[in-house]
Amino acid sequence: MTQPVEKILVAFKSVPDPYEAAAPGDSGSTAKSVINPFDEIAIEEALRIRERGETSEIVGVTIGPSSIDEQVRAAMAMGVDRAIRIDDARLLDPYAVARILRGVIEKEAPQLVLMGKQAVDDDSNQVGQMLAGLLGWPQATFVSKIELLDNRTRARCTRETDAGLEVIDVNLPAIITADLRLNEPRYVSLPGLIKARKKPIDVQTCQQLGVIVEPLTRLSSTARPARRSAGTRVESVAELVIKLKEEAKVL
Amino acid sequence: MTKTNTLILIEHDRQQVKRPSLHAVTAAQQLGGDYSLLLLGSAVGEMAKSLLGYGAASLLVADHAELAEPLADRYALVIADAFQKCGATTLLGTSSTFSKDILPRAAALLDAPMLTDVMTIEGNGNSFTRPINAGSMIATVQLGSERRVLSIRASAFAAPTGNTAVSPIEQLAVDAALLPNGMQFVSREERISDRPDLTEARVVVGGGRPLKDKETFDRLVGGLADALGGAIGATRAAVDTGLAPNDYQIGQTGKVIAPDLYIALGISGAIQHLAGIKDSRVIIAINKDPDAPIFQMATYALVGDVHQVVPELIEALRDRE
Amino acid sequence: MDFSWSDQQRELLDAVSRFGREQLTYEVIENDRNAVFNHDAWKKCGEFGIQGLLVPTEYGGLGQDPLTTVAALERLGYACKDNGLLFSINAHMWTAVIPLVFNGTEAQKRKFLPGLCDGTLIGGNAMSEPNSGSDAFALATTATRAGDKYILNGSKIFCTNGPIADMLVVFANVDKSRGQDGITAFLVEKGAPGFDPSHKIEKMGVRTSPMAEVFFENCEVPAENLLGKEGGGAFLFTRSMTWERGCILASAVGSMQRLLEKCIRYANERKQGGQSIGKYQLVASKIVDMKLRVESARHILYHYGWVAGHRKAVYLEAAMTKLHLADAWVKCAEDAIQIHGGYGYMTEYEVERELRDAIGAKLYSGTSEIQRNIIASLIGL
Repeated sequence: MTQPVEKILVAFKSVPDPYEAAAPGDSGSTAKSVINPFDEIAIEEALRIRERGETSEIVGVTIGPSSIDEQVRAAMAMGVDRAIRIDDARLLDPYAVARILRGVIEKEAPQLVLMGKQAVDDDSNQVGQMLAGLLGWPQATFVSKIELLDNRTRARCTRETDAGLEVIDVNLPAIITADLRLNEPRYVSLPGLIKARKKPIDVQTCQQLGVIVEPLTRLSSTARPARRSAGTRVESVAELVIKLKEEAKVL
Repeated sequence: MTKTNTLILIEHDRQQVKRPSLHAVTAAQQLGGDYSLLLLGSAVGEMAKSLLGYGAASLLVADHAELAEPLADRYALVIADAFQKCGATTLLGTSSTFSKDILPRAAALLDAPMLTDVMTIEGNGNSFTRPINAGSMIATVQLGSERRVLSIRASAFAAPTGNTAVSPIEQLAVDAALLPNGMQFVSREERISDRPDLTEARVVVGGGRPLKDKETFDRLVGGLADALGGAIGATRAAVDTGLAPNDYQIGQTGKVIAPDLYIALGISGAIQHLAGIKDSRVIIAINKDPDAPIFQMATYALVGDVHQVVPELIEALRDRE
Repeated sequence: MDFSWSDQQRELLDAVSRFGREQLTYEVIENDRNAVFNHDAWKKCGEFGIQGLLVPTEYGGLGQDPLTTVAALERLGYACKDNGLLFSINAHMWTAVIPLVFNGTEAQKRKFLPGLCDGTLIGGNAMSEPNSGSDAFALATTATRAGDKYILNGSKIFCTNGPIADMLVVFANVDKSRGQDGITAFLVEKGAPGFDPSHKIEKMGVRTSPMAEVFFENCEVPAENLLGKEGGGAFLFTRSMTWERGCILASAVGSMQRLLEKCIRYANERKQGGQSIGKYQLVASKIVDMKLRVESARHILYHYGWVAGHRKAVYLEAAMTKLHLADAWVKCAEDAIQIHGGYGYMTEYEVERELRDAIGAKLYSGTSEIQRNIIASLIGL
């Protein structure tokens, strides 16, 4: 008789909707927020593991002020059983986030932690790895397939690397970060939304967790990158080849 | 062990050093002070010899059978250990799936913050710029910590010029008994290709979803790449529909490239893709839709159907020889 | 009466808007031309929860009140241009789901409702006959008890969802001598012996919603598929029709809002005689009337929804809602064509389809004349 993984913890971040914020001329500040798409993939994977009967509880965790509760409820509407929001409105860096998450994990003691490989606002791609380092746990990053093995004591993970695919086994507990092709997240349904109303959001503070962190990076400004200007229109292949030879000198 | 300011993690494919990982040398020179190179692996003696001419204070080599595969838990531990022993304050690498896997873990072991995808170093090496929001914004960031970990974008820093000076090699002792063993390598599936590596190629040809099927993709994108001795790339949409393997993906969640020439075939120009190609010197876009956003940043724009234009272009390039 | 949304209503309605925007904005022109039903969109709506909005949660629904339900359907109609899909969903909800919710046995509810809610089953009803339309209870289809079965004979016309339905609520008379009191409802399942729903009917509008003429030739229906009691069909039908009248054009209010916005955009963009056509008073006046029509349609719809959630007899409100919304929708679509000029008459501009889709609203679930009759009798004429 195999034992299910008792608890999966999924960490997720609220980010400005990348498809709205990316529109030209949009400052990004007015865009509505969504669950970071890679974290949504991580949540979906946890749900699928539960649907295969391989875990009994999925706990979501996020960090931010009460204004992100809409994303917390969205995670629960997807199917996360309960959620913890660490109430902290500061602009945190990945290392601070990792240290706060370590505090949550030490309290919750999950056997598996899932999260996206990166947040699409900050694009750092660090938290999962830092967390694994802090906890001394195995890690699998850029993961496109997860299989639980050996009575759920190990996870076989396919990783998408620059050179192709790599398969590694990690002993549990472990941190796994989701890449784009791990799965396609489900659409949040109205029944899910209504069920989520009954699920509790457990709001905690860093003080309650006993985690004192100060961000070590400081964002001093953001600016739009210099834009490449549109070049020349060419009418034919022949003209293009001439330009490449004589003007651009790339041939 | 030779003391140094910056420790540079070198990436290799077990045969040879990945050229982009050497661009970190240029970044280290901009930071100022001494820098050392760090090479991890199994039986990497020959490779080490190729790294002696880059002006490093020393080349640290951790050569052990237990380091044959780049498992993050072991590598991060060895790297953090080397960092402390050589008294460095900056750990540096070039952004790739290898460094992004390992450096943040090492940063946590060193109790240091990290910046990913650094593009420029400013203000006496204390201020950095890096892209955020899929490259649609550039952030300027300062670090409030003496120790720090940086991964740089290869496309934003020049390749280092070779140096006649010979850096001394220092072997790092690896105690296998102390290495963590919670991660095990199982297998690897890498494409063997005669074409150059996507991130190192001088010419890259990228294809989008209008290429319809894999056969057409290979014939047009592959054909043009071969005619120019270039590498192949693809959009996320092309990868998602199975036209190309995932490691061909260029863009925010794929690879960032900066070739001399990028040719975009049937690519409309989603911001996530543009973020990955904007440092290319010359961009050619061929697309049926005259309003495709990619034309906004193309050096040369040709409005036309790729199925018709590309065979013509391949033909014209053949004729030139 | 309070139409201010609670946080929970707002959350649900926003989710419906987003769902429509993200999942239901497919192209309709080809499907309309070829009369193709979008099964995938049906399934998505089911999985999302649309078909189950009113159904109690223990049977796989959402247990929402009528006001929330019509407001949700309005938002769906705003986002989704496929009026045929929405018509099929409405037929399914009001003529199959509602009778089951109110008159089904526990076993029938358990068997059908979860599938009818989540999009795996498609339902509808079969009432109108070639010789009984507005005079619905004069139907000629018969049902005869034979042991543990009923044997149905007759034919039905204008059966929405007929060709694609997994089950239909079929009305037949068990004893003609009893007249209206012999009318009885049966749940006829796809594949029942002697049941033939395959004869598709071509029509002017809502072409993406399949319709059939349905034949029963010694059609065998198990006795456990009797819905309600023998002779209870007329009351059951009236209840189903009352719900339908009140709710079926909720999505049309969304369509009208979409048309209004389309007209405003066009009137601002289109320049004639050196200025945008919206600056001409004749055009502006038409659009202002359209705005008034949309707002009054929305208010009468919400009023119906509110009343339906607070008292039992809503015949008057339902008939008024149906009558007013049908007229408003047709007029909006007609004016939208006029504002778009020749372009409005062209398929590509997707305004002419709206008029073709709208016109049926004056005919189904009781013609506008029937609604007027009902209203007249209920206000003492």
